[in-house]
Amino acid sequence: MQRRGFLRCGAYCGLIGVAGSLVAAEGWQNPPRLQRPDPASDEGGLWAFLDREEARLKRSRFLLRDGPLNHYVSGVACRLAGDHCPDTRVYLVRSPFFNASMAPNGMMQVWTGLLLRMANEAQLAAVLGHELGHYLARHGVEQLRDAKARSAFGQFLGMAFGAAGVGAAGSLAQLALLGGSFAYSREHEREADRIGQELMLAAGYPPLEASTVWGQLFAELKAEEDWAGDAGTRSILFASHPDPEERSLAMAQNAATMGGSNADTGSEALAQQLRGHRREWLEDELRRRKSGETIALLQRLLAQSDNGELRFFLAETYRLRAAAGDSERALAAYGEAEARAGFPPELYRSRAMLQRQAGDEKAARESFQRYLSLRPDGDDVEMIRGYLREGS
Amino acid sequence: MSRSLLLLLVLFLSGCAAMAKIEPGEVKLGEAMTATPDSAWNRLAIGTPKNTEVWTSDGLPLDRLVFYVGIADGEPLAPLRERSDRQIPKFRAAMPAHEIVEMYEVFASYDGSTFQRGKLAPAQFASSEGFRFEFARVRKGDELDMRGVAYAAVRGGKLYMLVFEAARTHYYGKHLARAEAVARSVRIGR
Repeated sequence: MQRRGFLRCGAYCGLIGVAGSLVAAEGWQNPPRLQRPDPASDEGGLWAFLDREEARLKRSRFLLRDGPLNHYVSGVACRLAGDHCPDTRVYLVRSPFFNASMAPNGMMQVWTGLLLRMANEAQLAAVLGHELGHYLARHGVEQLRDAKARSAFGQFLGMAFGAAGVGAAGSLAQLALLGGSFAYSREHEREADRIGQELMLAAGYPPLEASTVWGQLFAELKAEEDWAGDAGTRSILFASHPDPEERSLAMAQNAATMGGSNADTGSEALAQQLRGHRREWLEDELRRRKSGETIALLQRLLAQSDNGELRFFLAETYRLRAAAGDSERALAAYGEAEARAGFPPELYRSRAMLQRQAGDEKAARESFQRYLSLRPDGDDVEMIRGYLREGS
Repeated sequence: MSRSLLLLLVLFLSGCAAMAKIEPGEVKLGEAMTATPDSAWNRLAIGTPKNTEVWTSDGLPLDRLVFYVGIADGEPLAPLRERSDRQIPKFRAAMPAHEIVEMYEVFASYDGSTFQRGKLAPAQFASSEGFRFEFARVRKGDELDMRGVAYAAVRGGKLYMLVFEAARTHYYGKHLARAEAVARSVRIGR
């Protein structure tokens, strides 16, 4: 049903988009399909370059090749893009950071760290709509010309393809960041936000969810700053994007004038698609060691759906953070995870390590044994048996 | 041109000056560790963090042997580029093997690479009861499939670890036996 909905939408959402844009978005009107630029022009050169990069991206080992998930996210993008759907391609990239990007040739990237953070389909639509906003308003091309005018073309490419703010990601530059760090001006970002909300409304999503996305992100960064004193200063998004709190407020104000607030957010539709991937993405998230952000994220996800898997990851975050009182917090959270469905057997291994460190040898042995009984073929059983010998 | 830039340029132009030949025989690693390779390796002579030694046979992108020598309680394995916050994982003397591997994972995946631990089992290392683990990684920069094996032991509250990692195709198989031989030869002094 849903799929058919997307197809129908592909046929006429663009029209609704145009109708919608006539009444709002400060003069924004959905343009006709963008044509491939003359190869001899500056824009044509940029496209040729991007096409080559896209060919590389298609071969990337970091691309998620899961058919149903790709189909689903592309479907949401198409529902928003309307007539522009045939000109856009969505690629899902395995990277634990919050990021999505769209290059002027229609290549869109969505990172798994972003998907993990979406509470519902409408939030995903908000991000995709924002990126489509950059594309439809041709911000990338404007940016290119502006850079040329300022004799800053090298800098432009450096920003577009260099590691702008992604020390953490190192040489991601050529691949996943491509298009992502086009350093759009704040005006461009605001315009893309507005267009994104218009596209959401036209596609039947509540525009207020766009505000929630940034509110959530702000809460995570605030939690990180409170904990580590090092907020998102190095986050990919904040090199160029306006302050997320300011942005969230602006979008909430905008949504209040737009209507569409009763539309379905599609939280079950998204949850269904992400279910099979979440564990791997949460493992990637833990390796970032940004426990402030991770705890805020997990608490938000738990408020939406309380289950053993999320409680387990919350416990893991405390155990790995290993600050004062974290062992106790982790042990409590492992207990809560165990009382719910969905936790992995590794819970017993993690809990055993903490129980042993706390001096509770009897409980530790029981937990290690439990893990062995649940993962008899695990690749660490010899090590676990070694722990049991040590403790005897 | 600043002095450091000039130095960098000189080092860049001199190229191979950054590598020193390791001949078979006993080699001192830091102040507390020795290894006795039975064949030649190349040692990275500049730019390695404190308590770290890096060797290679066919060049760093293809194979490397990294020694972590006596990481003390409260110290990280190595500095993380562009990050200095309190959340960089630190070694704790009470860490079990699993947690040491989890700590290593953070450094191995910091550039965006994937990391998958394989077999983890007790093993002798540097005449101590230690452990051995295997891992696989897709390196972010060039998307090369890497495989690795590591030995570690905690002695006197300090961590001693040897990690061999190489491109899965050809190089891992080519140097694994030599790397394992180096691991067997490691001794901790004092």
